[in-house]
Amino acid sequence: MCSNIIYKDVVKRFEGKEIVNALKGVSFEIEKGELFCLLGPSGCGKTTLLRISAGLESLTAGQIFYGKKDITTIPPFRRNIGMVFQSFALYPHMNVFENVAYGLRVRKESKDIVKKKVTEIMELVGLPDVLRRNPSPTALSGGQQQRIAIARALVYDPEILLLDEPLASLDAKLRRYMRAEIRRIQKATNITTIYVTHDQEEAMAIGDRLAIMNSGLIDQIGSSDQIYHHPNNMFVANFIGKMNFFPGTIQEVQGNNCKIQLEHNQKRLDLFFEMNQKRKQEISKGKKIILGSRPEKLSISANPDDGLLPGRIQIIQNLGKVTRYEIAPLWDSKNKLIEVDMEGKLSGVKEGDVVYINFDRNNTLLFSKKKAI
Amino acid sequence: MAIINNLKEFILEQSKKDYTPYLILSVPLLFLVIFLLWPLGMSIGKAFVLRGNELILDNFTFTNFQRFFTSSMYQRSLRNSFVISFSVVFFTLLIGVPMGYFVARVEIPFKKLILSLGILPIITPAFVGAFSWVILLGKQGVVRYMVNKVLGLVGLSLPPIYGLFGIIFTMTLTYLPFVFLLSHGAFKSSNPLLEESAIIMGAGHSRILRTITMPLILPSLGAASILVFIRAIGNFGIPAVLGGQQYVLPTLIYFRVNGFWDLNGASAIAILSVIIVVIALTIQKKVVSAREYETISTASSEHKLHRHPFIKAIAIIYCSLVLLISLAPQITIITMSFFRQWIGFLPVGFTLENYKIIPQIASKAIKNSLFLATSASLLTALIGTLVAYITERRRPKGAILIDFTVMTPFVLPGIVVSVALLSAFSSGPINISGTFLILMISFVVRRTPYVFRSVAASLTQLDEALEESSTISGASWYYTFRKVTFPLILPGIIAGSILTFATLLQELSTSILLYSAKTQTLPIQIYNAVADGNFGVASSLSVLLLAAVFSVVYLMNVFLGETASSSFKLG
Repeated sequence: MCSNIIYKDVVKRFEGKEIVNALKGVSFEIEKGELFCLLGPSGCGKTTLLRISAGLESLTAGQIFYGKKDITTIPPFRRNIGMVFQSFALYPHMNVFENVAYGLRVRKESKDIVKKKVTEIMELVGLPDVLRRNPSPTALSGGQQQRIAIARALVYDPEILLLDEPLASLDAKLRRYMRAEIRRIQKATNITTIYVTHDQEEAMAIGDRLAIMNSGLIDQIGSSDQIYHHPNNMFVANFIGKMNFFPGTIQEVQGNNCKIQLEHNQKRLDLFFEMNQKRKQEISKGKKIILGSRPEKLSISANPDDGLLPGRIQIIQNLGKVTRYEIAPLWDSKNKLIEVDMEGKLSGVKEGDVVYINFDRNNTLLFSKKKAI
Repeated sequence: MAIINNLKEFILEQSKKDYTPYLILSVPLLFLVIFLLWPLGMSIGKAFVLRGNELILDNFTFTNFQRFFTSSMYQRSLRNSFVISFSVVFFTLLIGVPMGYFVARVEIPFKKLILSLGILPIITPAFVGAFSWVILLGKQGVVRYMVNKVLGLVGLSLPPIYGLFGIIFTMTLTYLPFVFLLSHGAFKSSNPLLEESAIIMGAGHSRILRTITMPLILPSLGAASILVFIRAIGNFGIPAVLGGQQYVLPTLIYFRVNGFWDLNGASAIAILSVIIVVIALTIQKKVVSAREYETISTASSEHKLHRHPFIKAIAIIYCSLVLLISLAPQITIITMSFFRQWIGFLPVGFTLENYKIIPQIASKAIKNSLFLATSASLLTALIGTLVAYITERRRPKGAILIDFTVMTPFVLPGIVVSVALLSAFSSGPINISGTFLILMISFVVRRTPYVFRSVAASLTQLDEALEESSTISGASWYYTFRKVTFPLILPGIIAGSILTFATLLQELSTSILLYSAKTQTLPIQIYNAVADGNFGVASSLSVLLLAAVFSVVYLMNVFLGETASSSFKLG
């Protein structure tokens, strides 16, 4: 029943007072039964892409296929899709049953089938009891409204499910709970799903795969692990989690070992990079590069002999499992604050102290011209 | 072969599309073009040719406009209209703003009552107010009689109400509620923290009023002023009853059409009055938009009310006095309707005859009024709703143009609408003058803005995702409209339609030029009774009309909540 989705050079231009290029040519495929997250900052085009997938917006150029079927010009009401809106869009003038049954009524299903399907779907979303009282949806809590919106979108067995920031209007705790629920329901129905969000933690937690969008283009598609550990470029690196950047120059390459000189600093770093084909081409002596390091891949020490780069601690935050140190680099006043996450707390170190930062030899990333190499 | 296949595909493609919205939504647009734009165009054209001449380029002339330079009657009418409109704006502000402040910011009893009584003058037909003041302050008016007894002792006398003074006086009382209600709303809803922070910074009461309170409500006062101005310059009933020899632009138009059947001359006067309204609107927009402020903070709290006994006393006395004067017409009319005569101090000759005679003399007018108001309201509801849907949901390229077109009659004096309709449909291939149809069309054109505004407001508040969600579920445009959009904007439609119905029951300025013996409505019969000096019958019919209008408005309040009556600010 469900199908894959193929995007071919999808372009969307809004022409009003000023022309906005919302999508600048996007091509990719979403697999059958996949929970696919579209992630990006506001204005990156993710919502436009979702609305185009639904048929609520038309394309300026390009094609979209559901399976083998070209649906580019098919109006939304003939596409057989389900959608959950950010505001839930529950009908205030209908009770819960009628809300959920809406798509079935449109399809002129018989009374028995409507009753059976609504009951089943309400069970699936974990609200079998609500039907007994059958109140107006406005009388329900945010989490319940969310489940009803999902039930309503799924009840008529659509080919594709679209979710537009479905958790944005819930509070933080409920959001974490509901995202697990959404994944459970999606896996239970095995329906191809597009999930739009601007919350990277949510996307990483829920998605089989993620697409990171940036100003109308897709920067990277992959599993959350791939994207976190091997970001394509500096934007993705810093959008998914935090990445510290250090500009420098390659001094020497010996097999998989690189000696790197950081800007404004005498000390040299000796790092390990597996020399694949691409890196062999890109890396050469004297090349300007940027090193990238996640906060948990850096460490600090109060002892100058243990570390390389001196910095002054600005803020210490206790985040529970780890302690985060925000450090102003002393060797380069223009560099941004460096974030370092340490398990446990470094004893005898307080805000204002000078510490020394060390790199993880095996887990540092290499960028050139903002792209990963 | 390839061509045939392509053609087949094209037809298949087209047949898949949903054309119902285009079919349905083109109906109201056609209506607006045929019954609003076309007549206005015809009217403008006719203004540039002389009466009896064909509408062709060879006959082009400015003669109709030159009368404003040559005829003293034209000049006086123009001057009168200006003097009256500006004076009425001035006096309504002078009287209405303090009242708004008192009710919003001073702790006085019966606020709700004051607010609901305060609205009565707008619901009362303006010409009814006018003739009740004739009873009180006319040549043999009761109040004038008493005052003159006192003044006579020192050798003075109060002039009768006829003329400019009377028109300004009556119009001020009629349109006072606009200023009162709008300034009350502004005083009440402005953020009290702004004034409190000024207190904390050491500002005194008068400084706060001058530098914080008044600047913040200025946009509301601007809106109220322009509303009053448009109403005052377009009002026909009051100058018709009280004007005597003093003409204003609407009565001059009436005079041209009724006296000479000179639609061309009337069109020229109509164009001039529209130009004045447009200039006033432009000035108001410029002045107000420069002073419109966005609310910065979202935190809100209630204003602290003045509790000083002296201020309270002033507020109570002031509000009661204004209410008493502005409700005098209703009281007078009701009293008058039970008597034969009211010359001198007390009415004489108690009788029920004025009421008993109603079925005999007015049953046709009542039936006509009910029929016209009902059918026109239904048609208005349909057209207003669909046009609002077009501009708010389909948003075609010319949406602003449609919005502008449908709102035009809102600022047009009623008599201008009827001149335009007569220009287009009283001669030539389509002649419907004197029929119910032309009255109904004029009513619909004139009141479509009410439903349009009301429904457009409902639609902006309605989350578009509700409709999109229905579409995604597989529903066609019509199904979505029927099951989701329509039920959710129904309160807006009903509010707009009831408002339309209530105002159409008392419509005079449009129908005065369009009615015939067959289609005479109740307001026209009242107007004619006043003209004949038959005050008893005029009063009993007015009481009937008032009762009908009040009960409609009351029912609307009961069913749709308090906010509904404030929509009268629109109308």
